[in-house]
Amino acid sequence: MLNGCRVLDLTTERGLLCGQILGDLGADVIKIEPPGGSATRSLKPFFADEPGPERSVYWWAYNRNKRGVTLDLARDEGRDLLRKLVAHADLLIESDNPGDLAKRGLGYADLSAINPALVYVSITPFGQDGPKASYADSDLIVMAAGGVLTLSGDDDRPPIRMSVPQAYLHACADAAGAALIAYYDRLNTGLGQHVDVAAQQSVSLAAQSTLLAATLNADETRRMAGGVKLGPISVPLVWAARDGLVTCVFLFGSALGVFTRKLMNYICDQGFCDQATRDKDWIAYGDMLLTGREPIEEYDRLKGVVANFLRSKTKAESFDIARQHGLLIAPLATIDDVLANPQFIAREYWQTIEDRELGLKLTYPGPFVRFGKTPIAYRRRPPRVGEHNREIFLDDLGLSAREFDDLSRMGVI
Amino acid sequence: MATRLPLGDVKVLDFMWVLAGPGISRSMADYGATVVRIESTQRVDPTRTVGPFKDNNTNPEFSALFGNNNAGKLSLSLDLSKPEARAIVLDLVRWADLVCESFSPKAMRAWGFDYESLRAIKPDIIMLSSCLMGQTGPLARFAGFGNLAAALCGFYNLVGWPDRTPSGPFSAYTDYVAPRFGLASVMAALIHRKRTGEGQYIDQAQAESALQFLTLPILDTVASGRKYSPIANDDLQHAPHGVYPAAGKDRWVAIACRTDAQWRALCAAIGQPQLADDRRFNSFAARYESRVELDRIIGEWTRNRTPDETERVLQASGVPAHTVQTTFDANGDPQLRHREHFVRVNHPIAGATFIENSRFKLSRTPAVVNRAGPALGQHSQYIFEKILGYSESRISDLVAGGVLG
Repeated sequence: MLNGCRVLDLTTERGLLCGQILGDLGADVIKIEPPGGSATRSLKPFFADEPGPERSVYWWAYNRNKRGVTLDLARDEGRDLLRKLVAHADLLIESDNPGDLAKRGLGYADLSAINPALVYVSITPFGQDGPKASYADSDLIVMAAGGVLTLSGDDDRPPIRMSVPQAYLHACADAAGAALIAYYDRLNTGLGQHVDVAAQQSVSLAAQSTLLAATLNADETRRMAGGVKLGPISVPLVWAARDGLVTCVFLFGSALGVFTRKLMNYICDQGFCDQATRDKDWIAYGDMLLTGREPIEEYDRLKGVVANFLRSKTKAESFDIARQHGLLIAPLATIDDVLANPQFIAREYWQTIEDRELGLKLTYPGPFVRFGKTPIAYRRRPPRVGEHNREIFLDDLGLSAREFDDLSRMGVI
Repeated sequence: MATRLPLGDVKVLDFMWVLAGPGISRSMADYGATVVRIESTQRVDPTRTVGPFKDNNTNPEFSALFGNNNAGKLSLSLDLSKPEARAIVLDLVRWADLVCESFSPKAMRAWGFDYESLRAIKPDIIMLSSCLMGQTGPLARFAGFGNLAAALCGFYNLVGWPDRTPSGPFSAYTDYVAPRFGLASVMAALIHRKRTGEGQYIDQAQAESALQFLTLPILDTVASGRKYSPIANDDLQHAPHGVYPAAGKDRWVAIACRTDAQWRALCAAIGQPQLADDRRFNSFAARYESRVELDRIIGEWTRNRTPDETERVLQASGVPAHTVQTTFDANGDPQLRHREHFVRVNHPIAGATFIENSRFKLSRTPAVVNRAGPALGQHSQYIFEKILGYSESRISDLVAGGVLG
């Protein structure tokens, strides 16, 4: 659906997913790597723990539906070639530190002079400007700065992050939407612009608006093992089942209390509580706790009732009950469980790509949405180092065979 | 005259509620789309009942969660059980470019608002359905919140200590992943329609979008048979890598070293340059192996300093470090302030309140974020009059007939 939209992907490991999303949507994405290959190719883990430029799982995860060329942007000849590519490109994505590409004459101002319609997308930890714009970063640092790290972990130990890095994925996914808003505008106006994505701001979405609490004179939200602390109330979200763990929502108010009423009806029917417990005012219950009309000790007893019920069932039993009765319970899946989930299998979600040369059979999460008319296709595996140099430099850009050979010999491509 | 916004010509009829769906139309409103949100007084949006609440007032109009996720949209309250309400919706479908909904499957069909019905009256309409598990399959009707999808996707088992049951991510994790994919998808569909005139239906399973963020462990599990389980703050590329105690109650600072240069800078900054060449720590592999001892040494240094001081000293040496900002800290963070992340707006009932700004900046057409989330039904009159062009008498008949549910 974005066919005809050409994207130059200059990103480091921070920015790879953005181009992949645009590639999934049909754009012609060209991944530009330095000669010898992107540093991302040396990131762990490797398939079967065997290192090699074509074996980084990290590389494979975020570079499908891209073609790949090598180009040395540290050299004049390489930068000239990039400028030629820019003249025919619609979008450019980069994730260097602010100002780094400008120092090489490849900043937004430089490239928009060549192609005023270019949408130039920058993905950085803290944005292009501001007191922390040049901070040294990592996934953990961005999570800490975004007010998200503080919200997960056990309250008697330090906060912990999700162990599969997420910060730049949030930024990249924001960047894809932002790039397309700018591209849509360009279709109307013929003009490009600079899109500035700060990972700190992107990840803060996952704090669920709690960053607003301070100025609104509202309660602070704090971390709790398998749940969350809202003022004086500790709300568990992870509960023990007979054979593992489930998540279950036991909350109140005019919307969530309706689910709790259904849950307590079922629990009472099963003999886990008396009718007085079942018939509490689940709509008003949160307010009752906050105002002290209901003692916290009684709430603790109720959590015990729910815990006893959930502990008496296997994960699968609870999930079946939830599906039949419209309750908010689901098992905590491992990656193996996710792969075996009948829902994803029935929807033919998983996409396999076989690479006979490397002896790899890969399973990818499938399309992020289903389009009725223009379905997402996994057209290309991630490119090998310099795989499409000839195709792009000779056929697309029109270099002569001699120019191409000279540039290859000089190590520019 | 303000710059013309990118989506100034885009009209959205928005049935979405809770978190994952409305995040999409919030971004569209930031960039100029006219978003008409259908709400019901009978089935209030759950986010109106969840905090943070201004002044801890649990009145649904005081929810900053709702206000933040719906800023800049227009609210029309309708009793969809009334036939007159159905006619209003169909008029809005004729007006709209994009119809979005995030109910569990079948709700729209029950009202006669499924894609086929809408396409019959507006052939080039784009329709997005966003629900937890998708429109088809055995779990299609399993409805709920993002914590349930996060559990089913495997996110919970990736946050935790190796010696304890998993802590899980905060709240409803997939609700913060899915809207980004939803936004990119509807934008691509609008671009496709602009070029070809063709609309289409989009089925978003929030779980399927969110699993994009677990591509790495899924590839690795299938190809290499590796098992992913909670490892607290350990990392494959960084050592040291962790959250260290700081002066103050429950105060912490995050530190991460990727390169030997960063490690050397850290040793110098904490006044222990001899550690840099210590055989226990002189390579990434050695540091990773000795990380428990390493964390102890670093923690001894950090525990007597405020997290901000550690951040300042280490960043000045080029070492990745940051205060673990509490949500209250983040509100005063100089970087977020510089980026104008927090915006003061006026709400007709709650009064002065705050929302978060667009999470990205467009240089030529910056977001215009100056309207609060709507009060329930705040714009019903405006929508009838200005968008639908209904006559005064028709509007009073509708009001008298109790259509504004």
